[in-house]
Amino acid sequence: MNILVLYLVLLKAVLTSFSGMASLPMVRNDLVVTRHVLTDRQLATAIVAGRTGPGPNGLYLVSIGYFIDGYPGAIAGLIALLTPAFLVIPLMHWIGAYATIPRIRGAIRAVVLGSAGLLMAASVPMARDAATAPILTAIVVVSFFTLAFTRAQTWWVMGAAAAVGVITKLFS
Amino acid sequence: MPRPSLAELAGVFLKVGNTTFGGGPPTMAALEREFVERYQWLSAEEYGLSYALARLTPGTNVMAFCAATGWQILGWAGALAGTLSTTVPSAVLAVLITVGYESWRTNPWALAAINGTVAAVAGMMLATVFVLVKPYTAGLRGAGLMRTVRAIVLSGSAFVLLYRFKLSPLKIIGLLAVVGLLWHDPVENARPAVADVAAKEPAPQ
Repeated sequence: MNILVLYLVLLKAVLTSFSGMASLPMVRNDLVVTRHVLTDRQLATAIVAGRTGPGPNGLYLVSIGYFIDGYPGAIAGLIALLTPAFLVIPLMHWIGAYATIPRIRGAIRAVVLGSAGLLMAASVPMARDAATAPILTAIVVVSFFTLAFTRAQTWWVMGAAAAVGVITKLFS
Repeated sequence: MPRPSLAELAGVFLKVGNTTFGGGPPTMAALEREFVERYQWLSAEEYGLSYALARLTPGTNVMAFCAATGWQILGWAGALAGTLSTTVPSAVLAVLITVGYESWRTNPWALAAINGTVAAVAGMMLATVFVLVKPYTAGLRGAGLMRTVRAIVLSGSAFVLLYRFKLSPLKIIGLLAVVGLLWHDPVENARPAVADVAAKEPAPQ
């Protein structure tokens, strides 16, 4: 895949989302479903890699770039992640005043809520692919409740899930 | 307000951005302690404005927050230093972890661990949906009911349009922005200040 096209695809996903993981449905749609340059498995691995270390949640884009085009792809992913951040500066200059207008806020909130729905649509097939055994289904459910209702760190949940996977293998 | 050198500013971003786990909210909280309380490079009001406008900026909010605070402290050079210092070391680590995952995939024990983490990722994504929607709901009684219905209808329609009808996410986002302009939350009329967003908005991811 051409590096510029990869950057533009990732940039489009970042530009149309309002949080780190909200770009995921667009990324999946473009790279997994439409262009077939990434698998769901690689996407899940990229998310794990992005969430395992410190830094923003959007770092999974760097891993996706790496999967598709090696180190140049990773750099394209990083630049796509960084580019929209600078839009905040003109926002601070001129648009801040308009943020108090209820209709503008309403539009932004609708987009955030829409992002949640899109994320759900991307999550369902991934959950179906991941839950191939009862213990893996249990991990999906337990990690959902743990992360939705407690302040547990993602890193610990991932580590515990990996440990459960290994222990299950040990006794199978 | 005291002004740091570019190296001092980059040093704070580097330290906080690459040692704080858990995404945007912990990073922004840690930067508040450094910039506002410890070094006093920013006032609480400037911090609140950066936080609020970062929420309105497309993309990863914490990156916009770093650009905004860096810009407030040292202009464009500060914005560049903020975003690069926060992400580049973490991005290198993310690539190393990706490489590690790929090379371990042939090992059955590593594969078992990866299967476990992939399942946890699916649970984490569903939890993220819950966390994103929850702040926009307000129970099932009185004025809160309308707010809750709005949140469920907007997020639910996006889900159905993508999952069932395979509509492009870009079109769905555009459609929802228009719907949001026309069907805004009446409770929002009571909030006059931009900085209020810092206190009221759900935490950026």
